[in-house]
Amino acid sequence: MAQAVVATTEHGAVAPADAHGTHATNTGVSNAKLGIWLFLSSEALFFGAFIATYFLYRGRDAQFLKGPKPSDMFNIPFTSVTSFILLMSSLTMVLALAAIQRGDHRQLRVWLLATALFGLTFIGGQLFEFTEFYRGGLKLSTNMFGTTFFVLTGIHGAHVTMGIVWLLVLWGRSSGGHLPQAKSEAVEIAGLYWHFVDIVWIFIFTAIYLIPQH
Amino acid sequence: MTHQGTDLEVVEPKGEVEAEQVALPPAEAVDQIPATAGVQVHPGPRQYVLIGIVLVVITAFEVAASYLEGDVNSNLIILFLGVAAAVKFFLVCSWYMHMKQDAPFFRRVFLVGLVGATIVYGIALTTFAATLLK
Repeated sequence: MAQAVVATTEHGAVAPADAHGTHATNTGVSNAKLGIWLFLSSEALFFGAFIATYFLYRGRDAQFLKGPKPSDMFNIPFTSVTSFILLMSSLTMVLALAAIQRGDHRQLRVWLLATALFGLTFIGGQLFEFTEFYRGGLKLSTNMFGTTFFVLTGIHGAHVTMGIVWLLVLWGRSSGGHLPQAKSEAVEIAGLYWHFVDIVWIFIFTAIYLIPQH
Repeated sequence: MTHQGTDLEVVEPKGEVEAEQVALPPAEAVDQIPATAGVQVHPGPRQYVLIGIVLVVITAFEVAASYLEGDVNSNLIILFLGVAAAVKFFLVCSWYMHMKQDAPFFRRVFLVGLVGATIVYGIALTTFAATLLK
């Protein structure tokens, strides 16, 4: 079984050998990775605000259900398919990382492109869903359901879009020969962002679409 | 200088790290330490695919559970969906984001945000939900 070996110490405090080509730092851990983890930590608070707001108004406020109700609008089978696609994009992303860590640049580009295409499919599905909701009479200002739903899923969609741009930039760098194996950390960091966006959707999908509406 | 079997260049640490470096065993001794002691091993593609399959299966059960509304107590469904989402979160974080293998410091940094969000929004929900129900 192929395994990517990355040298670091047991607790990551000292890195005598760094497969990512990064320099030794005062903290002993990669500054770039520390930066992305700090960013993701702040993003947890950011998305938490919108998810909490959705739950706050969900079915409690009379304003929430003035107009189309969630049960009238949702197409669970369709959203399940787009959720499945986003889950699979996390798999292709981590396969891209494994590819660059073993120096297989062709596979890296294949998996990066697959991840970006899965992301684009998810965004296409979201745009289709938004259009259907709009035609069904649900707009941003129709009721609190429309407001909280469009803002939460829209911001998540914007994050996915940013991730797609990031992946395509990496793909371009790799195609131009500017992403050597020693810089695999660049793919790892993009992957961390992508997986985070995926886990946010795991909660959004459960919270908004699957939990029964009272 | 490279570590035997890894072809990785040794980067001399600076600053505070130097004090710890002094206590490290000689290179010959380091080479005899099992790989799991000092080398971070990421899972291979096969494990990634297996985790992907598990994630898909859990999602399928989640979607199926959502159709049981009316036949099964909705609180049970909510409990199941919450647990399933938590399991998926744990799997993605630990395997795909390499939280299991990476430096624990990164895990702690991320947990600060997660726990902070849970506390802050938990308080906000309990406070304002009561107001809205009036």
